[in-house]
Amino acid sequence: MKKVQMKGRTVDDAVRAAVEVLGGEKEKAKIKVLNEGKLGMLGVIGGEEAEVEVSLSEGLAEDARQILQEILDKMGFVTMVDVALKEGVVDLNIKGEDMGRIIGKEGSTLKSLQTILCPILGRISGERVRVSLNADGYQEKRNKALERLAKDVADEVVEIGKEKVLPPMPAADRRILHLALQNDPKVSSYSKGEGDERRLVVAPRT
Amino acid sequence: MKELVEYIARALADKPDQVEVKETAAESITIIEIRMAPEDAGKIIGREGRMINSIRAIVKAAAAKQNKKVTVEVITDDKIG
Repeated sequence: MKKVQMKGRTVDDAVRAAVEVLGGEKEKAKIKVLNEGKLGMLGVIGGEEAEVEVSLSEGLAEDARQILQEILDKMGFVTMVDVALKEGVVDLNIKGEDMGRIIGKEGSTLKSLQTILCPILGRISGERVRVSLNADGYQEKRNKALERLAKDVADEVVEIGKEKVLPPMPAADRRILHLALQNDPKVSSYSKGEGDERRLVVAPRT
Repeated sequence: MKELVEYIARALADKPDQVEVKETAAESITIIEIRMAPEDAGKIIGREGRMINSIRAIVKAAAAKQNKKVTVEVITDDKIG
């Protein structure tokens, strides 16, 4: 998002000048009038200049990168945000210091950042936006850890021959476990419970 | 910390001009209060408090780095919050 404040004799003049500075099309610009301005006597004396703030989107991915960067800066963390648009998903990656704090316990802070970014970007683009937030390879590491957990639980279930209920987990985590177990010939998996209490159950195949 | 909350709350609101954030620092704790246009309360609080809880988690992470304790509250005239 490029943004500029501009004064002019009238609102129209100010907007035109601002769009020129930003180098875009007026149709795509978001205009906020800061001061309507007043034409003075004979257009000269006692008048007040109009002032506008014009912002221009640089594409959803770049806007997303800038917003996340701004939030991390204001959090006081020294970071660099990269962005890529993959199959309609805005894929953001954070690198830098304080990664532990940015990720949070079991990824909770990362998840919170993702939660607030979705509606913010949705407003800018005017449609539902899917955002994926990654902290320097954190998600891949976590997925691997969940896959290992799936295998350990599967082994245990086969050994004791009884189903095992896991602690409540978010949908994204359960999905990784389901996928990891779907082709296992010895166990199957399903979920039970509602909302925050929804848990994954691993059962021996009969 | 005030700027952080202000930035996020304004970005979530339909009427960013009417978002007001106040920071009160007591000895061991900082209290941040968010006020907004009534129709924006739902946007900032979110379904089952998802948005405001996410804002709290983000603020908590930032505050922890400075060894601070910060609470974030939404102030509404009616009982939405």
